[in-house]
Amino acid sequence: MNWIQSLYETYENCQHMVGYTNEPTRPLLPICHITVQAHIEVVIDGEGNFRRAQLVDKRDATTIIPATESSAGRSGNKPTPHPFSDKLQYLAGDFVEHGGKVTSGFAKDPEEPYRQFVTLLTNWCNSPYGHPKARAVLTYVQKKTLMQDLITQKILLVDGNGNLISKKEAKRDRNSKDIFSVLNAQTQDGAVVRWIVETPNASESKTWRDATLWESWANYYLNTTKTEDLCMVTGQRRVITFNHPKFIRREGDNAKLISANDKKNFTFRGRFTEDRQACTVSLEASQKAHYALAWLISRQGYRDKQGELAVVAWATSGAKVPQPTDDFSDLYGDLPSEEEQVADTAQDMAIRLKKAIAGYRQKIDARDDVVVMAVDSATPGRLAIVYYRTLKGSDFLDRIENWHKTCAWQHKYVKREKPEPETGKMKSILIPFYGAPAPADIAEAAYGTNRDGRFVVDDRLKKATIKRLLPCIVDGHPIPRDLVDSVVRRASNRIGMEDWQWEKALSIACALYRKYRYGKEKLEMALDETRTSRDYLYGRLLAIADVLEERALSKAEKNRPTNAARYMQQFSQRPFTTWKQIHELLTPYFMRLGGQASYYKKLIGEVEDLFTPDDFISNKPLSGEYLLGYYCQRQKMWEKTDKSATNDDDSNE
Amino acid sequence: MNYKNIVEFKVWGKYALFTDPLTKLGGEKYSYPVPTYEALKGILSSVYWKPTIVWYIDKVRVMSPIRTQTRGVKPIKYQKGNNESSNDLAIYTYLTDVEYQVQAHFDWNYNRPDLEKDRNDHKHYWIARRMIERGGRRDVFLGTRECQGYVAPCKFGEGQGFYDNYGEMAFGLMFHGFDYPDEHKDGELWARFWRAKMIDGVIVFPRPDDEKAIVRKFLRPMKASPPQTVGLTEKGLLEGYQEGA
Repeated sequence: MNWIQSLYETYENCQHMVGYTNEPTRPLLPICHITVQAHIEVVIDGEGNFRRAQLVDKRDATTIIPATESSAGRSGNKPTPHPFSDKLQYLAGDFVEHGGKVTSGFAKDPEEPYRQFVTLLTNWCNSPYGHPKARAVLTYVQKKTLMQDLITQKILLVDGNGNLISKKEAKRDRNSKDIFSVLNAQTQDGAVVRWIVETPNASESKTWRDATLWESWANYYLNTTKTEDLCMVTGQRRVITFNHPKFIRREGDNAKLISANDKKNFTFRGRFTEDRQACTVSLEASQKAHYALAWLISRQGYRDKQGELAVVAWATSGAKVPQPTDDFSDLYGDLPSEEEQVADTAQDMAIRLKKAIAGYRQKIDARDDVVVMAVDSATPGRLAIVYYRTLKGSDFLDRIENWHKTCAWQHKYVKREKPEPETGKMKSILIPFYGAPAPADIAEAAYGTNRDGRFVVDDRLKKATIKRLLPCIVDGHPIPRDLVDSVVRRASNRIGMEDWQWEKALSIACALYRKYRYGKEKLEMALDETRTSRDYLYGRLLAIADVLEERALSKAEKNRPTNAARYMQQFSQRPFTTWKQIHELLTPYFMRLGGQASYYKKLIGEVEDLFTPDDFISNKPLSGEYLLGYYCQRQKMWEKTDKSATNDDDSNE
Repeated sequence: MNYKNIVEFKVWGKYALFTDPLTKLGGEKYSYPVPTYEALKGILSSVYWKPTIVWYIDKVRVMSPIRTQTRGVKPIKYQKGNNESSNDLAIYTYLTDVEYQVQAHFDWNYNRPDLEKDRNDHKHYWIARRMIERGGRRDVFLGTRECQGYVAPCKFGEGQGFYDNYGEMAFGLMFHGFDYPDEHKDGELWARFWRAKMIDGVIVFPRPDDEKAIVRKFLRPMKASPPQTVGLTEKGLLEGYQEGA
């Protein structure tokens, strides 16, 4: 299925989720509706009599309101009104009497916005699709007393002459809520009103939550707009639209997937003379598809910091799926923190991964379509689809599982906020995990530079890297070699990075190199003492020197980088000559360690013996494999001391 | 048609861009996963074509996996606004490393009765064969001009394809081709759509006149423009001309 059809189908499958949920994400909108932030709630009865008014809590301000195509995309100095809820200048017949200032385009005729609004609402109410609540609002609005009522209720603040005052003029009490504490503006003109219509028998008095009202407006709107043509999504003759929704990646996002403002140049002109020859989409299909995408991105997608690149995976049935942009800690959700951790091995991780994936498998039918889509924009106004793939549910989960299995390493850089058991304070703790690193972290490790202890990556480079990794995860393509090389190079350059940064780069480099070699050979995550390849052995030697020196240094309470750390970069380029240097520099530490030195000497001897002589004296640069040897050997030596220090009673060892 | 008129060829290239019409308007072009009927017809017409014949694409076989790659491009702004100094910026999504096997045949263009004398199937068939062997008369491109393609003879169904035992893959409503006034109804330009699907890597196209499978959309009035002259038989052309003078 193509992208717009699968979005359309997702919307149809998720009809029951239209409207508000408990999630803090953007709602799945009913068609012909948009969301706005409301500031004032006005309560009226079924006959259109005013009852009371109140301010809206900021956390509950998101309101679904009916909109026309032109009001949804309105801008400029003469914005068209929404048909039901809107700003005061449209709703209040007595707006000007109380000193309200209309938008500049209406200055000559300040009554115009009100008249436009009333006409719009009247047409809806008089149509066969009208709704009793809409009629109640119309009756009330026609009384032209909205401003007066709000002033009487002390919602709007006025001076002695009954004119609206600005934020500066208002005498505000810090402890009580007033209009300016919900409205981010200097004046009260922009306040948005939403309606509560209380009728004896209606179950839902809040009009913005009333599904029958949504339906009534959508039906009216679809049946009064008359431009019909072939819908290129459904293949049927339908009411078409030329105004496709925006706000796809986030609120306030102006980029559109389908746009046709370029009528002078040759994006479509040539064989076509007008945009509607090149492409027509029905209003219904367009809104459903766009609303579904916006909802999906907000609910489960990935967005980069600038909010430009958005990546989302979903099942067209509506079931949640693992995201390709996640690392294993996101996927699994609740991993033990470092302190709680019991021996977490590669095998343990494999079981966890299997469980996590099995959890998803239960929710997704194997034959369900799973879609992965990424959108990005080069300029603020237009949105491009940069990646799109549909797979069967089972294939998709296989690919995700495979990615986490083959690109796995042990990582210790994910931090989570968790409440402390005693105090309940939020504290960030390290969550170590085995698995594939997230694409964004890979980009940081490959191209990040250290600035004030943070990885800083050029946004475009980061976006491009994530885009390049998507096919590796979702389609199972091999990892680009230049990316692996870059991570390996950075992980070798230990000086110039903070310790945690280097550790992160190192474990990611190991994961990527392992993935890169996958298919040619399977590299173990635990130390393989029988492995005789040159690069691996050189990595082990470096680790031994590093750990040895570190231990000797800590004995002397010195906190400076080891020689192994300092020479690491050079070592990766000319291992043989650099190893001689490092080895010579170890002599004083052997002395310092005394009796323990023989263990390290023996270990070095063992590793050196595994080399073939030609391999050992070769000065060829090392491949990423040496990092694996380094990591495993170091891990092994750390474990050994941990065990002897803490697990003395473990007699099974 | 008295003689065999089916041709088979393969076409391949590094990039392909069969623009999804929905993404054409704004200019952030995004490729369909598979070629359209019209794109393949265009390729074959570049290889060999005469106004006497109309090419019909029977089926296409997708040989290599469907892969995409995005590239930042700077489409030329032919008419810049007052405050615009540079060209536009866009992200195009191309298919990469594509290879297709195509089977097609030709039929006479009955809208051109003036060319009735040229309806020699034996002749056109063999010219088409030779042109395929030579890689075509004009340059071949895959969807858009910047995607150079190459043509060579092949046997349809030969060799291993990536989607050989893949089962069905549906693409939804997809552009099929144009009804140009010189081959369809003079004075009108139409666009055709169909619900494309691929089975084991093969897409069998409906014929343009298959009313069951095809949905049409009227685009605009357009006049066919047959040539104004028919060569040496044109009246008055050789007036005053003398052999050897």
